[in-house]
Amino acid sequence: MPLRILVGVKWVPNTQAVRIDPKTGTLIRQGVPSIVNPNDLAAVELALRLRDQHGGEVIAVSMAPPPAVKGLEMLLGMGVDYAYLFSDRVFAGADTLATSYVLAHGVKYVERERGKVDLLVFGQETIDSSTAHVPAQTASWLGWPYIYYARRVEVADGRVRVERVVEGYVEEYELPMPAVISVAARSFKPREVTLRGKLRAKTEKPIKIVSNKELGLDPRCVGLKGSPTIVAKVTYLPEVPRRKEVYRPRDARDGARWLLRKLLTDPETRDVILSALWGGSGAREG
Amino acid sequence: MGIAGSYDVAVVGAGPGGLSAAYLLAKSGFKVIVLERGREPGAKSLFGGKVYAQPLRDVWPRLDKEAPIHRWVGVERFSVSWGGRVVTLEFKAGRRVAFTTHLPELVKWMAGKAEEAGALIVDEVVVDEIIVKDGRVEGVRSGEDEVKAKIVIDAEGVNRLLLEKLGLADKPDPSRLALGVKEVLRMKPEAIESAFGLEKGEGLAWLVLGDVTRGLPGGGFIYTMRDTVSIGVVLRVSSAAEAAERGLLKEHVSRLVESFRLHPYFHRLWADADVAEYGARLAVEGGLGYMPKRLYMDGLLVVGDAAGLLLNTGYTIRGVDFAVASGRMAAEVAARALEAGDTSARVLSAYEAKLKSSFIYKELVRHRAIEDVMEDPWFFSKLPAIIVDALSQMFEADYEEPTPIEALIEAGRRRGSPLLLTIAKMLRLAEV
Ligand SMILES: Cc1cc2nc3c(=O)[nH]c(=O)nc-3n(C[C@H](O)[C@H](O)[C@H](O)COP(=O)(O)OP(=O)(O)OC[C@H]3O[C@@H](n4cnc5c(N)ncnc54)[C@H](O)[C@@H]3O)c2cc1C
Repeated sequence: MPLRILVGVKWVPNTQAVRIDPKTGTLIRQGVPSIVNPNDLAAVELALRLRDQHGGEVIAVSMAPPPAVKGLEMLLGMGVDYAYLFSDRVFAGADTLATSYVLAHGVKYVERERGKVDLLVFGQETIDSSTAHVPAQTASWLGWPYIYYARRVEVADGRVRVERVVEGYVEEYELPMPAVISVAARSFKPREVTLRGKLRAKTEKPIKIVSNKELGLDPRCVGLKGSPTIVAKVTYLPEVPRRKEVYRPRDARDGARWLLRKLLTDPETRDVILSALWGGSGAREG
Repeated sequence: MGIAGSYDVAVVGAGPGGLSAAYLLAKSGFKVIVLERGREPGAKSLFGGKVYAQPLRDVWPRLDKEAPIHRWVGVERFSVSWGGRVVTLEFKAGRRVAFTTHLPELVKWMAGKAEEAGALIVDEVVVDEIIVKDGRVEGVRSGEDEVKAKIVIDAEGVNRLLLEKLGLADKPDPSRLALGVKEVLRMKPEAIESAFGLEKGEGLAWLVLGDVTRGLPGGGFIYTMRDTVSIGVVLRVSSAAEAAERGLLKEHVSRLVESFRLHPYFHRLWADADVAEYGARLAVEGGLGYMPKRLYMDGLLVVGDAAGLLLNTGYTIRGVDFAVASGRMAAEVAARALEAGDTSARVLSAYEAKLKSSFIYKELVRHRAIEDVMEDPWFFSKLPAIIVDALSQMFEADYEEPTPIEALIEAGRRRGSPLLLTIAKMLRLAEV
């Protein structure tokens, strides 16, 4: 039975390159390239494998500003069949609730256009906020069963069987379809982009950009307005000024000796070391 | 699997060379595809900082208005640095000849132009092979997919794995390559101008010889961008490897850039600027030695770094403009061949002929002697020390001040380079 599998992906700033403005406490995003959330690629890979096995189609869905087309092209290059980008100014500033609201209605929109959806898969969490809320919330809006940390997924007889590892247990679940699955990080190694796929992305442009005009959602439920989450305060951990020093030890013993001597002669580290070893140097006690 | 498309021209590599050819051919109405392995055009690009404008204007006449030009170079500096002392020569330019920019920005702009003209740019795709059937190039292969093309333009840059596979280029010779390591320092535009003594919006190019490379063949560079300063060190790969083997170079090259950044004479210019980016890339060392056996075959043209087209005189580096100019010439010849319906080596050989009668080849031949100089460690380890020492005797005298010639003789003696040797070496430099 061919499957229609949707994959939810997020277009995120590459947090490895993001720094924090020490004065304002906000992210400096200027000049930082955005990428497809790396964890989502495992979800894409799972979807593609299921499609290769059962036939059908894989459709990427994302709520993001227009530059995310670049990321969707990459997914098409990997072999995704079609992509929907839900993009509108009123969607901006959304928290996870408002995002999942748009995505859930996006899924319905895709169903109206292309037919019944069997599976909606997500990555484990995003690298820029790490809430892992969106899959669960989207499932709730849709009223579909949801399972997370999936590391093996099989479809048979209209049901989906999922294996996951939680706190040392291997659990197996069976869910009716349609279902929402979020995939454990690194559990499916994403395939490479192919020339054929990328060429198709560029020439056929199998990407549909859908604004709120088509989705018709209440502006009070989307974007900043539809977001009850308030970031009350951001404190950032100040960068510790490091006294970098490079020492080339002859061997491990020499290296350890050098390090220990350093740490024990430096008044700032000596107490920490001594108290860790003997519960205090004596000087601090009493 | 199989053939994914058919084009008049397939260009491998969205660098300056490939994109100038792609732009011109697409503008003339040919069906052009550009294949680039980077995430987007420019993603893999890294260079020093200065581009000669005229060869680019020949391709994009509106360059001055449209391109991401950071600063027009108004000041050229050249320094010799040794043991904490520095001798500097400054030239104040009067004409808009060269500008500074970040190569990724410039390449992205070129890619936009090529797309506007109708070229199809496909990024995130590695070309694994140029397909040859019965001695003629028929297209390119990436993974299991092929693209057919009447002409393939190889613009893959310095690391020419594809040309090696074709047998047109040998494995890279480390004496023909240099390794560049660079840091980008973020500064306010006004801070750059006041630190470097520049007018508002004015750019500077600065090359440094001597202990920035620990006396090894190569040099340091500084370029001022709009709100960043690029600094770096370039080392001839063979010399650096040999010095490392002999224990003369003990540090990782990135440490050389760090020492350069922290060198008291230079450090005050950027003081506490943040390092915004760093990177490294191979460069063609310059001269004719890196040119492949042929720049064409049935259905193939080679441009830019892949063709070994780079001039490095020690005081200027011309790679981007040479790549663009060679791309233009390749496009002109390719257009004629496609119109005539004959893309054989006989017709495409006109490209090599065109190149050889152009300014590029003339420049490479004219500055040929620089190759000998670049290979001679004397110019990098002895000369800077002698110059600095001689001037220090002249200017750092408490009572007796030697004449310049006395100072030079003494400085040479201390460095084991008698005056006659120094003169002979300098005469070689005069030939360059
Ligand atoms: C440290 C350093 C400093 C320099 N400073 C200057 C300077 O100040 N001024 C100056 O004019 N020049 C400078 N150069 C030289 C200049 O960068 C090059 O000459 C110029 O970029 C050459 O352009 P190109 O188009 O031939 O190759 P590149 O710019 O190298 O472009 C080649 C492109 O091909 C792509 N590619 C390669 N193989 C494949 C493949 N198999 N499949 C798909 N894509 C592929 C690469 O990703 C790349 O984008 C410097 C170089 C270095 C390294």
